[in-house]
Amino acid sequence: MGYVELHARSAFSFLRGGSDPEALAAAAGHWQLPALALCDRDGFYGSVRLYMAAKEAGVRALVGCEITMDDESVVPVLVASQAGYRRMCDLLTTSHLRAPKGKGRVLWSELATDSAGLIALTGDEEGPMRRVWRERGTDAAAEAGERLIEIFGPDRLYVELQRHLLPDEDEENDFLIDWARARRLPVVATNGVTHALKSARHVVDVFTCLREHVTLDQAGRRLTRNRERHIKGEAAMTALFADLPEAVANTGHLAARLDFTLDDLGYRFPDYAVPAGESQDSFLRKVTYFGAQQRYGSIVGDVRRQLERELALIEKLGFPGYFLIVWDLCAFAREKGILVQGRGSAANSCVCYSLGITAVDPVGSKLLFERFLSEGRTDWPDIDLDLPSGDRREEVIQEVYRRYGRTGAAMTANVITFKGRSTMREVGKVFGLPDDVLDRFSSLFHGGDYPQTLKLKEQLNVAGLTAEHPRLEALIDTCGQVYSLPRHLGQHSGGMVVSAGNLSQFVPLENAAMPGRSVLQWDKSDCEDMRMVKIDLLGLGMMAALQDSLEICAQRGQPVDLARIPKDDPAVFKMLQAADTVGLFQVESRAQMATLPRMKPENFYDLAIEVAIIRPGPIQGGAVNPYLARRAGKEPVTYPDERARPILERTLGVVLFQEQILRLAMELGGFSAAEADELRRAIGFTRSQERLNRMTGKLGAALKKNSVTDSAAEYILTSLASFALYGFPESHAISFALIVYASAWLKVHRSAVFYATLINNQPMGFYSVASLVQDGRRHGIKFLPPCVQRSDAQVGVDADDTVRLGLATVQSVRTKAVKSMLATRASRPFASLTDFLRRTEFNPKERRALAAAGALNILGDHRRAALWRVEETDVTDELFRHVATGDERPLSPLETMTPLERVQTDFETLGFTTGPHPMHLLRAQLPDVWPAAELVHTKPNERVKVAGAVTCRQRPGTAKGVCFITLEDETGTANTIVWPAVFERYRMLINLEPTLIITGRVQKEDGVLHVIAEEISAMMLLALPEQASRNYH
Amino acid sequence: MNHAVLFAPDFSLQALRRSEPALMGKPVVLARGEGRKARVTEVSAEAATVAPGLAVTLAIARCPGIIVRTRDLAAEADATRLLVAAALTLAPRVEDTAAGCCTVDLRGADAAQTESRMHACVVELAAFGLAVLIGAAGTPLLASYAARRARPVLIVGDARKFLEPLPVDVAEPTSNQAAILRGWGITTLGQLTALPKAEIGRRLGTDGVRLWERAAGETTRVLQLVEPARTFVAEWNYEVPVEAMEPLLFRLQRFAECVALELRGAGWVAEKLTLTLLLEDESDYRRDFRLPEPSADVGGWMRILHGHLETVRTLARVTGVRLIASPARPQEKQDGLFDIGLRDAAAFWENLARLGALVGDGRVGTPVIADTWRPDVVALEKPAETVPAPAAEPIHPPRGLTLRRFRSPWPARVRLGERQPEEIESAELHGIVRAARGPFRLSGAWWTPDRWAVETWHVELSTNAVYQIARTTEGWSVEGVFD
Repeated sequence: MGYVELHARSAFSFLRGGSDPEALAAAAGHWQLPALALCDRDGFYGSVRLYMAAKEAGVRALVGCEITMDDESVVPVLVASQAGYRRMCDLLTTSHLRAPKGKGRVLWSELATDSAGLIALTGDEEGPMRRVWRERGTDAAAEAGERLIEIFGPDRLYVELQRHLLPDEDEENDFLIDWARARRLPVVATNGVTHALKSARHVVDVFTCLREHVTLDQAGRRLTRNRERHIKGEAAMTALFADLPEAVANTGHLAARLDFTLDDLGYRFPDYAVPAGESQDSFLRKVTYFGAQQRYGSIVGDVRRQLERELALIEKLGFPGYFLIVWDLCAFAREKGILVQGRGSAANSCVCYSLGITAVDPVGSKLLFERFLSEGRTDWPDIDLDLPSGDRREEVIQEVYRRYGRTGAAMTANVITFKGRSTMREVGKVFGLPDDVLDRFSSLFHGGDYPQTLKLKEQLNVAGLTAEHPRLEALIDTCGQVYSLPRHLGQHSGGMVVSAGNLSQFVPLENAAMPGRSVLQWDKSDCEDMRMVKIDLLGLGMMAALQDSLEICAQRGQPVDLARIPKDDPAVFKMLQAADTVGLFQVESRAQMATLPRMKPENFYDLAIEVAIIRPGPIQGGAVNPYLARRAGKEPVTYPDERARPILERTLGVVLFQEQILRLAMELGGFSAAEADELRRAIGFTRSQERLNRMTGKLGAALKKNSVTDSAAEYILTSLASFALYGFPESHAISFALIVYASAWLKVHRSAVFYATLINNQPMGFYSVASLVQDGRRHGIKFLPPCVQRSDAQVGVDADDTVRLGLATVQSVRTKAVKSMLATRASRPFASLTDFLRRTEFNPKERRALAAAGALNILGDHRRAALWRVEETDVTDELFRHVATGDERPLSPLETMTPLERVQTDFETLGFTTGPHPMHLLRAQLPDVWPAAELVHTKPNERVKVAGAVTCRQRPGTAKGVCFITLEDETGTANTIVWPAVFERYRMLINLEPTLIITGRVQKEDGVLHVIAEEISAMMLLALPEQASRNYH
Repeated sequence: MNHAVLFAPDFSLQALRRSEPALMGKPVVLARGEGRKARVTEVSAEAATVAPGLAVTLAIARCPGIIVRTRDLAAEADATRLLVAAALTLAPRVEDTAAGCCTVDLRGADAAQTESRMHACVVELAAFGLAVLIGAAGTPLLASYAARRARPVLIVGDARKFLEPLPVDVAEPTSNQAAILRGWGITTLGQLTALPKAEIGRRLGTDGVRLWERAAGETTRVLQLVEPARTFVAEWNYEVPVEAMEPLLFRLQRFAECVALELRGAGWVAEKLTLTLLLEDESDYRRDFRLPEPSADVGGWMRILHGHLETVRTLARVTGVRLIASPARPQEKQDGLFDIGLRDAAAFWENLARLGALVGDGRVGTPVIADTWRPDVVALEKPAETVPAPAAEPIHPPRGLTLRRFRSPWPARVRLGERQPEEIESAELHGIVRAARGPFRLSGAWWTPDRWAVETWHVELSTNAVYQIARTTEGWSVEGVFD
């Protein structure tokens, strides 16, 4: 074996490496290295990505890591065997779990206990020998080397030599060579790689600055000396070590000893503990049929055939335990009264439906089982569970930990990468750009990574950095290189991995930010690649709202069973057709609202289409307008190929769902189930465009072979490419449509409950509480302020049309104090304000907030009277604490608040108002502004002026730079469209002003009304409170 | 009319514009806070769409071309001296109350003369670039309120009538008090004083009572009078611009004598002199001289100033000169056990100043190895006043031959073989390379236009001499020889 690079760090060493593992693998492939060892700092964070990329590049990925020891020296360790890998995982897990994030250190004593299966290098300048050599001289360095020999023995320790063309490195290397000879240890050449290509040296320098909190100008000798630490080929390394050919040769010898690769992880999903006498297969069959009986009544015909087919495949592939474990978890949730519903492709499975994991009947809905599971599938099927967000989901997560232990289960990681504004902010600081330029850049290029109409250079120019700035080019180049590299590791919102035995044997675990949780070092794609089984326990705010709604309805004697509500309620569809969807699940966005009046959903399946159609996939694939036109009878329904008719019939000849792509591939392209599964993975695998291109090519050839016309093939392939941008499976859309319908039904028939639970489960959805309350008011719901005598902590329902705000909605009031007050009130209601003040534990600030919010009106006449009274210092005398007192105080000398003052105070204390919309109070000052609700009376192209609080700014990637702004006033919302040129002119105002006046022309199309913005200005009325908005999500 | 208050509205902004006349007539705001939390604190009249309290980012959005600056404390100090000086023209008992606010004890002064003097004072200060308002009343507090309402001079007769409509903020409630009053709907002093004082006491405590009393104008206090001059500035404007050094030196000598006398009288010495030459082209020439040891020695000052002025060539004639002596307490210091102090620190610094004048300030100092990987780069640091104790022996003493650098390096032509240089030719040297070690590559400052890269070799010529040669973008050179 030729030269092997045995010591490379990737960007997964977090600010210690300048290239991602894919780039390292590509460089290694370019130089035809037979193998490459990735030694990221304190973990195997990038190992899977290297493993996958190296396979593509024809390079063997070796596993290693740099471990930080308790004396801060860093030892590179290579994994030789599975036992060694497990030992390393164990060491890393132990060190990470006992220390705060990023501070895990392995003890020398722990390493000494057992190092079997591990081979160590003496390390680079941070290694135990070279570090000590520099600080304390040769004797101390030799002593450090002896310790390594003691731990690893002479057969598992290699003296590492690096040559980076530096004038003073020979002295250090000479010492190492002499010492190796004296101790009869092999020397090995490495390049201590920190970046794939020479150019990425800049990234390493920038990362050094970020780590050390200095600018490039301040960094001095902390920066790299040259750009030599990149991947080099055998020829270059042989030339560097011409005097020591054995150092290069030994890399191959050492690599040959490293038997372990990630092919060999040894992970196994746990079995389900079945009752005595049952096998995994038999028990799954038993519970499936039992469930099917409940679901279908009788199990005959298609249902039986589908169940048998699925069970046979599940048994064949060895997955029964997985289904049983998920089934059991769902059962646990139900036992605890927690709503649970499977989403995604699991809804294509009749077994999942029978087990109660999903709520969609795939037989009745004619869903494609192969989208979920197929004969050729080698990886585990994906079952995602939607749970109510918050404590209920945490209860399920903690149950998983309880069952499998802290080292038997963990959340998958979420790799936080450098993106848009954060890249510029961080790199800009390192470049020494002035704060005002960076602030301005952040303000101009507001949140999120939505596509920009300006190039980065122009953006910087607008932000105040002239085109002639001497550092501009280097800055832009470096930002480009840094963009998308990992910054740090977070935690996935719901993905959990469990294993038979300790999970920490297969991947190191760390503490998550949330107490009681551990997180593994790989993200969900890595886990999939390693065939680790992931269960997504996702929290949905709407699920929590639904669950709360059911509980409140039951308490109020109006119980609702979501499974039994009629699915064809005309009032529900009337509301949906009118796009009256504020607060509803999935269909409340601006784009959905603009589509609903054109779509005019009439039945449940239409809702599934509505959910699926406003996605980047169908939008990019050009499916939206043809579908809507066909639906409206404006264009004929055609099919790209007559054979596609049965597949596309339900969607009027247009591809809207992922399953349709797979079916087309199978029916028209003759793809096998395995090939279809490969296609599915290519669509879902966003990291590799190459993988998708390969499958596109394959499908194209297959279509041609099957005599599909060029135009039909092109349509199918375009749809395929679009779905890589994100499209829904039909089953997923149907699952979501269930929640859409449930939320819509509640809004129509249990309006007060609907709004109350939405407010209780904020933040969620597109709208702030202020907007939800105004929407509720327009639907005839009365919102009453919080009241210390009548409110609970949470928002509640006083009557069918009346919502009572909870005391917890008052900002700056502690939950603990509210709970204590509720307990006190339960024992005896408050007789007076004095009584209230004496018997509760609110601090002065909280008392003031309660009074300002009107929560004490019932005891104190009006808000100002209460505000006057709560400031009294002698009412909380401990002596009178438990004595009920009437009020004998003189009346307040203060005036009552004006309506505008009340609204302002509401916004200060609650963040919204239960009273009139602020615009209502200011309407007289805006005589030439159209109320939103009156825009229907305008003529197309009429010039109008609209104004209000900005509730939403959107600039989706599919909109080619167009910005959508929603303004809310007391009558409703005005939807405006800002073309790119106008957006650039008013970019700063749009991004920063909470309230805007927009002048433009009316556009009306298919019942949808927009104002096309021409001029935009800030509404500088000081009395207008600032309302929360949702931006660029 | 026992007290008067001179009040400069938007004082920080005014002070800044006084020190930077270029900002006059432009929309300027002052900001406080960092990043997105930065808020506008003061606004010039030209930025009409912006109000104090607005986020800076919003201010930029609303007023294109706006200039956002932060407080210039030096400019404020300068303006404060001016304000105090003006206040001293009204009466000798003056308090520097707050930034942009001076209170004068007028007791004993003639009322009619004082009022006309106040108007004159406003005009005079306006000419110096500082707009002030003056209020006069029975107590310092009332006078302060009056100053804020004056146009430009207001003398309060009926205190109660005057106070009622004033916004409650003028009584300077704390932020907590302000929040409570806002909640109560109290916006004017009249509304506040309409509330029973005892009830305010029950709610807001003694601080509340004090606030109420301030609102009622009942509070009086003893002024904290300014001490004798603590800043020492002298300035002269020439009627006819000067070109020769003598008039300057003459004037400076007088300044120095006067200022040094003031300093000594106040128990101070100067730690820094600032010489400013105002030039005919409306620019100025300014130079700071940090004194080697704080002193009030006129001879020493003049030697430094004279030495420097001998070398100064201005492009325009001098229209004015200003000398500022920054006062400091006489220095007391104790040397470290192993430190060696300079025998004559003053002479050392004088010589250094002379050298600086001759070769430029940036080219004088103690060379230290710069914090960069670039070879043979030194930075000049201000020399230490003491010689530090010797450093410990290095862990790894240099080994091998010592490089003796050629300054400047010899430009050379180098013939390269397949792997290494084979022949070197320069004006000073010619030889065939017998052995070579290298290349060594260093590069840096890649983020700047001054990015550099150098490749060096150690070559042994047939003469047995070993040289260090280097290649940069400018070509090859022989950098030195190993002894």
